[in-house]
Amino acid sequence: MKLLPLVGLMLAAGCRAKQPDDATIADSAAAPLSVPYDQHILAGGTAPRGVSESNPFAGDEKSAAEGKRLFSSMNCDGCHGGGEGWVAPSLSDGRWRYGGSDAALFQSVYYGRPKGMPAFGGLLSAPIIWKLVTYVRSLPPPKAVPTQGW
Amino acid sequence: MEPPRTTLVRLLLLGSVVAPCTGAAQRPDDGQWVMPGRDYASTRYSGLTQLTSANVARLKPVWNFSTGVLRGHEGQPLVVKNTMYVVTPYPNVLYAFDLTQPDYPLKWKYRPMVDPNALGMACCDAINRGAFYADGRIVYNLLDGHTVAVDAGTGRELWNVKVADLSEGETTPMAPMVVRNRVLVGPSGGEFGIHGWLKALDLATGNLAWMARNVGPDRDILARPRTFKPFYDRGTDLGLSTWSGDTWKIGGAPVWGWLSYDAELDLVYYGVGNPGPYNPEQRLGDNKWTNSVLARRPGDGSLIWAYQFTPHDNWDYDSNAEMILVDLVIKGRVRKVLVHFDKNGFAYTIDRSNGEVLVAEPYAHVNWARRVDLISGRPVIDSAKFTGSTRGNVKYICPSLEGGKSPVSPAAFSPRTGWFYVSTVNLCMDFNAEQRARIRGTPFIGASTPYVAGPGGHMGGFMAWDAVSGRKVWEIKEKYPVWSGVVVTAGDVAFYGTLDGWLKAVNARTGTLLWKFKVGSGIVSAPITYRGPDGRQYVAIYSGIGGDWALLSGDVRSDDPTDVRDPADFIRDLGRYTSGGGMVWVFAL
Repeated sequence: MKLLPLVGLMLAAGCRAKQPDDATIADSAAAPLSVPYDQHILAGGTAPRGVSESNPFAGDEKSAAEGKRLFSSMNCDGCHGGGEGWVAPSLSDGRWRYGGSDAALFQSVYYGRPKGMPAFGGLLSAPIIWKLVTYVRSLPPPKAVPTQGW
Repeated sequence: MEPPRTTLVRLLLLGSVVAPCTGAAQRPDDGQWVMPGRDYASTRYSGLTQLTSANVARLKPVWNFSTGVLRGHEGQPLVVKNTMYVVTPYPNVLYAFDLTQPDYPLKWKYRPMVDPNALGMACCDAINRGAFYADGRIVYNLLDGHTVAVDAGTGRELWNVKVADLSEGETTPMAPMVVRNRVLVGPSGGEFGIHGWLKALDLATGNLAWMARNVGPDRDILARPRTFKPFYDRGTDLGLSTWSGDTWKIGGAPVWGWLSYDAELDLVYYGVGNPGPYNPEQRLGDNKWTNSVLARRPGDGSLIWAYQFTPHDNWDYDSNAEMILVDLVIKGRVRKVLVHFDKNGFAYTIDRSNGEVLVAEPYAHVNWARRVDLISGRPVIDSAKFTGSTRGNVKYICPSLEGGKSPVSPAAFSPRTGWFYVSTVNLCMDFNAEQRARIRGTPFIGASTPYVAGPGGHMGGFMAWDAVSGRKVWEIKEKYPVWSGVVVTAGDVAFYGTLDGWLKAVNARTGTLLWKFKVGSGIVSAPITYRGPDGRQYVAIYSGIGGDWALLSGDVRSDDPTDVRDPADFIRDLGRYTSGGGMVWVFAL
């Protein structure tokens, strides 16, 4: 838990004036998202109710760069490689096991996933997670998928 | 610190006069395979003689079975009382095949509950290294930190106990060893900042008998003043004083390899893995007893001696490889030794009664150290190869952190030739370390380490090694790293497998290839041989590429459409020759 002040400092240093107020975003994380998984088959063709939030840093290059540093300092790269996958899936192939929208990625980081993805929601504030999401979304999918030739 | 007598021994190491090894390997072969290394000495030597270098060319597959699991199939089957026992990688199914019936039908299969979160805490694929048979029980570890004992006859679970803490990054892919009524187990997690240990469980109940840390104060590592006598080191609390600050508490020291046991000396031997994190500047000092061999009493866990192969590891040179116990004639005198092929590229011949290093010579291309000084027992390190977060990207260190030989691939010893049979890896690496914080339940690594092929361009090999002279006898070069274990037989045949899926038989005296068969997926397991109920000699092995090679070779696992990867630059074409697929194969004449 002694990490929290550290990430708080990193965040404060990286914030731009035009970005949303951090306290507001952190408060919104107090009522965590319930994101419908957009790839689910809908029984009866009817979508369940759920909320989705938009990424306050979507497309922001500076946030993506901060997210890249966080991706290392939070040890994400130990399992996901440099984003290209290791024991955990590739995050740069344009394919998503648990949904690839910003909100779905937020949910994966915040709550974790059952095949070994730790839940970071107790450690990281919402703005931090959104920056990680922004970084992951900035990774360019490779050109050669789905065919690999020799 | 020690008198120069070790130098004398070194100078007088003449010829390779080899006595037959003692202990379990010397007993007549009953045709079974009841423990991972075949015997407590971990020789992986079989006295069966039907297969010989003259007839092995006629070997044919007679049976196979898909395990239904695609992950890396390490370890080996057991054969006990005409039943073959197979443990799969996660989800750790245990199969019991009836070898007395046509088609070897299952007697039963045991499907334990295993926490899928373990998939995220296992550093490098969700593998398992096998089971141990003792007293009518099959004992093995589940990936998620549980040890189970199953009735070998009925498949009924006798006990299932939690030994390791997933939330700390501890997983348990290693094969336990049973000595008398003690089940010895240890955790993986050198990449997660664990505080490594060895535990002894009661064979009847699974209850904890004792626990010994591998690092920390003497009271925790069970080093007692009267009984702990390391050959090269003096002082107390070495597992504490050789670490800066409290770094020992998250310093790794995993136990993911193999154990050996000498009944006469009543000592258990096991290798300890790397210190964490990889960035050595975060843990100054020797970091004892990481990268070491420890000798303990199985009864109460007392540490008797310890020797550190790689002090202050800068390169992730875990020492989890097997300790093979043999008696060799050195300087005209029979010595009880253990022979160990360390990831650091040196092969060690060590007096197993006291930890004195008798021979330490490179068996692979080594450039991080010039030699091992036998007076101090320490490597003479090339300072240009030190790594650390202030040193940037240190180029071309050999061997790579895969090791000159991997602990995954246990070697074999033949008392007939007096040689060791060893799968090798010929890779070098760059090492770019950076500062990291430990966050519980996440990796604690902090280095990127890309590989290139070592000198010669081939990435692996298979060799015969003379542990008296510290010399290679012969070597076969292989295109890819060789990551299989070995079995050698009284018919002078040695078996090993390749990452592109060939099981090979070679003449143990000459290294001549005698036979090969393509099993469909890369081999990262260890072959065994046994006598069937029909009196014939069989060879069994798992296929199923995994571990680092499945992770580095790109899309060799095609079971997840949401995960597609490129191969690493140094091994771009392995995926042309193999993909995942776990099977048990049995061969006979």
